[in-house]
Amino acid sequence: MTRMTCCSIAPPDLLARIVEEGDPAQRAAAVQTMAASASMRTQRAFVGRIAREFDQDVRALAFMQPPEAAEGVRQAVYDLQHGGRSQLPGDLVRAGDDPPVEDAAVNDVYGATEQTYDFYNEVYGRESVDGRDLELVSTVHYSTNFDNAFWNGAQMVYGDGSGRIFKVGALTGSIDVIAHELTHGVTQFTAGLEYSSQSGALNESFSDVFGSLVKQRSLGQTAEQADWLIGEGTLAPGLGTALRSLKAPGTAYDGDRQPAHMDDYVDLPDDGDPANDDGGVHVNSGIQNHAFYLAATAIGGYAWEKAGKIWFETLSGERLTPTADFQQAATATVEVAGELFGDGGEREAVETAWRQVGVLA
Amino acid sequence: MRIAIVRGGGVAGVTSRACLNSDALPPADAEALEERLRESGLLEMPEGPRRRPRHPDELLYAIIVEEGGTQRTLRFTDENLPDAVRSLVEWVDGRSESEHGIGPPG
Repeated sequence: MTRMTCCSIAPPDLLARIVEEGDPAQRAAAVQTMAASASMRTQRAFVGRIAREFDQDVRALAFMQPPEAAEGVRQAVYDLQHGGRSQLPGDLVRAGDDPPVEDAAVNDVYGATEQTYDFYNEVYGRESVDGRDLELVSTVHYSTNFDNAFWNGAQMVYGDGSGRIFKVGALTGSIDVIAHELTHGVTQFTAGLEYSSQSGALNESFSDVFGSLVKQRSLGQTAEQADWLIGEGTLAPGLGTALRSLKAPGTAYDGDRQPAHMDDYVDLPDDGDPANDDGGVHVNSGIQNHAFYLAATAIGGYAWEKAGKIWFETLSGERLTPTADFQQAATATVEVAGELFGDGGEREAVETAWRQVGVLA
Repeated sequence: MRIAIVRGGGVAGVTSRACLNSDALPPADAEALEERLRESGLLEMPEGPRRRPRHPDELLYAIIVEEGGTQRTLRFTDENLPDAVRSLVEWVDGRSESEHGIGPPG
């Protein structure tokens, strides 16, 4: 059953026009004026809605968040029915405690989003991507044959896949891909790692690490039992096993050139050319990915409990600057390991892992 | 006329290319491609990136149009890809005459 969207916030015409046509300062002022008119009860949902509809950075609206988030809907899934960006988020099809619907894509996204929320909340005590229980909004069936899923700064967006790169329906069925993307939201609200070259590769790697950990926890797997793959089974037939491998970077798909060591770092320019991947952010992420895998398997047990905790504190605990490089991440994780677990095996495992990938001497 | 669509980034982080030569099309379809190209506004837009991408895993696009010995390259992110250009991209993707390739970045 499809419910029509109730996303129209019906702002005063003038404010809406300013938001759409004004300069950045005018847009921000208009949004704040509109936001001030919302009741406290609806503010939490309103923040996300404004950010989505008017492309405002959700972080700029943090002043609107009530100090204690109320109980209520934590997520909503919309169906765009192959519309484009200007039609986001689409028609609301499942929210709150609604029962499953007929569309598997909706139910898969709903389930994986909930598991990702629970992972961050139950393991690390974090409420939603912003730490303040921001409603998690997802849109499925974006565009036509669209080969991607991404966090657009305010919500999740999922394409169906074309069958040429991704199998049709595979993106919405992959819990680690969904957790990877939601972790980009966590990074946005924490370290804010710039999406370029080494800081961008760290941004990608944190998403791979926690994407894999959400999957491992959902399966009850230890570090030794996990496959450490991202997007296993999502690629079209003949392309490869997965998008990335934390265990063996460079082996996930045909032509995968992820390095596992600084000696093999791929120096690409961040020049806006799609082929250069923002300076190789999806390539060189293999180095921190592998460091995490080495540390987690050396520590043993469930990887989210110790290695994951070290990485989460590094990401969220003001340990990294937005332009952090691999060296800064390595130093920070070693320090955090010592603070959390003393000078025992965990700290040594992390330090050794970074040496093994050539970041620490 | 030849049009090439290069996409990078995305959650996969791979580079994909779709190329279509109007010579490979039946005359009526070649005319339809020319019409869609005109409607897209690509021939009037200044070359170069519209804005640096800021959303992680957002797709990046380069659209290269070769005609009469000249070449134009337009770059977009998924966020600022005009609807008329997206329509052209989907049309090229959907043609059986288009050649597709996928590889790693760089």
